[in-house]
Amino acid sequence: MRDFIDWLERTAISVLLAAMTIVTFSQVVARYVFNTGAVWALELTVFLFAWLVLFGMSYGVKAGFHIGVDAFARMLPDRTFRVLALVVGFLGMAYAVILLVGAWEYWWKIYRIGIGAQDLPIPRWVPYLILPIGLLLLLYRLGEACVDIVQGRRHGIAASHEVEDSVADARDQLADDK
Amino acid sequence: MESAVLFILVLLLLVIGTPIAISLGLSSLVVILVFSDDSLASISLKLFEAMEHYTLLAIPFFILSSAFLSTGGVARRIIRFAIAVVGHFRGGLAISSVFACMLFAALSGSSPATVVAIGSIVIAGMREVGYTRDFAAGVVCNAGTLGILIPPSIVMVVYAAATDVSVGRMFMAGVIPGLIAGVMLMIGIYVAARIKNLPAQPWAGFREIFASGGDAFWGLLLIAIILGGIYGGVFTPTEAAAVAAVYAFFIALFVYRDMGPLKGVPMRRDGESIPAALVRNVGATVIYFVPAMVHKDTQRTLFEAGRVTIMLMFIIANALLFAHVLTTERIPQAITEAIIGAGLTPWMFLVVVNLLLLAGGQFMEPSGLLVIVAPVVFPIAIELGIDPIHLGIIMVVNMEIGMITPPVGLNLFVTSGITGMSLIQVVKAAAPWLAILFVFLIIVTYVPAVSTMLPNAMFGPQLVE
Repeated sequence: MRDFIDWLERTAISVLLAAMTIVTFSQVVARYVFNTGAVWALELTVFLFAWLVLFGMSYGVKAGFHIGVDAFARMLPDRTFRVLALVVGFLGMAYAVILLVGAWEYWWKIYRIGIGAQDLPIPRWVPYLILPIGLLLLLYRLGEACVDIVQGRRHGIAASHEVEDSVADARDQLADDK
Repeated sequence: MESAVLFILVLLLLVIGTPIAISLGLSSLVVILVFSDDSLASISLKLFEAMEHYTLLAIPFFILSSAFLSTGGVARRIIRFAIAVVGHFRGGLAISSVFACMLFAALSGSSPATVVAIGSIVIAGMREVGYTRDFAAGVVCNAGTLGILIPPSIVMVVYAAATDVSVGRMFMAGVIPGLIAGVMLMIGIYVAARIKNLPAQPWAGFREIFASGGDAFWGLLLIAIILGGIYGGVFTPTEAAAVAAVYAFFIALFVYRDMGPLKGVPMRRDGESIPAALVRNVGATVIYFVPAMVHKDTQRTLFEAGRVTIMLMFIIANALLFAHVLTTERIPQAITEAIIGAGLTPWMFLVVVNLLLLAGGQFMEPSGLLVIVAPVVFPIAIELGIDPIHLGIIMVVNMEIGMITPPVGLNLFVTSGITGMSLIQVVKAAAPWLAILFVFLIIVTYVPAVSTMLPNAMFGPQLVE
């Protein structure tokens, strides 16, 4: 089950990015080859982009790829570092809760009024649904991370930089060469 | 008062290890909740609106194209070409590394990624022929920073979005400074190599230049498509990025074949005639086109690009929220008045900008820092008559140098990571080349023509409203 959800999240991220690339690329092709274009293409791309980021931010917490400056915190003794990591987790949850309240307010408003999207033939609340959902997921993943920190399964919330994995790979490779 | 709270909160959150995005977002939320009466709904909506910014839409596409092409295989092709061209000078391998970093930077647009891809190959190579580890690591650590200066560059896209200047202009403006920085590093290496009597590679001949160049050509054509397409008005920068992503997918899976269903299948088998090879390859491309789109390597690359996009856009979205708070609190205006009132000359102002960014670059991811700093310094620069494009290049170069300035420069960490050297050793190794980049920063800051000459020649002078 855990593996399936992970697969689902990764696939959703890949598919959303692929879809927005294909839509934008096909617009260029449509313009130059077929001399046509769809008015709703840009709006669709924007919505896919928003879904990618707002859905993915919770996966970022789970996979630990949101970067932060942990150079100072890592100098502290391990116990203090873990307490601090927990504080960071709680602050993150506060962030998610505040935004979630606002997101729900906004979503509920547009749902009740029932206005449509600009170019796509759908109601506006459909694409904006990701705002409360994404924040709820973010809250959940931060909570999960806090539990993991308490139980000692996880070290901190943030990653030190964007290429952590490839640096590890490269080091293994260089180590093999010696 | 509000601004003091805002900045102290951010610093505090960052120091205890909060992710950059949440540090920016949470401190903005606190200031909004305490000092203003903006509705929460409108604030949450800001998170969504970041992705509605047409210019920023180019970012995921640039990241995707770089994910397809910043692989070890492409790095090796570029390095081979670089060695063929400049390897025969004294200190040739180090000079080639700089050249390779410049070419790779144009494909990847990310400084740490450039250090990892090029560094993991050339550092070992340089040590084999007798360079010290410090020399090799120092060179790559510095040359890798060119990633954000040589177009296409994500940091430039962010600057263009934050200040409403044209992405095309910014890209063009990066070309000459990028070349100058590369050449300055190369000259520095050549001088050091003369003194230290470092080895040169044998001259490989024009055949090797053409052979390796032809091999690297397909990857490097990407830059021509992007810059040519934008300059020629064929497509917008965002569309150019999407076209680049599709092109990169095609080259990686069907031409280079480092990944995907055709991995390991040669373009031309032994004894195969050219027409037969042509038919076979075209056939394979058609048959495997759909399988390639869903191949596990493609999936992995898409996910990797998605990961970086999410990480970066989450920071940018929160930085936009932060910038929104700055503007509603009229902080840029207050600072502008204070600076103008203090009678600061443009030159002095630029020094302040340099220092501010060098300090900020210690804590912040470059794109996020830009989103925050640009709205503050941009109006002042306009007031003082500084060209917006020139300011943009100054900011990019500053962030570049911030990546190799101790204590927490990103490239230092990455170099330390791939070489296993301690951070202190990397700092020492990078220091002499850092000095060269500082001279470069002074040139870029005080000679505007270096940045503005090319875009002005191509698009006409920049108009300031």
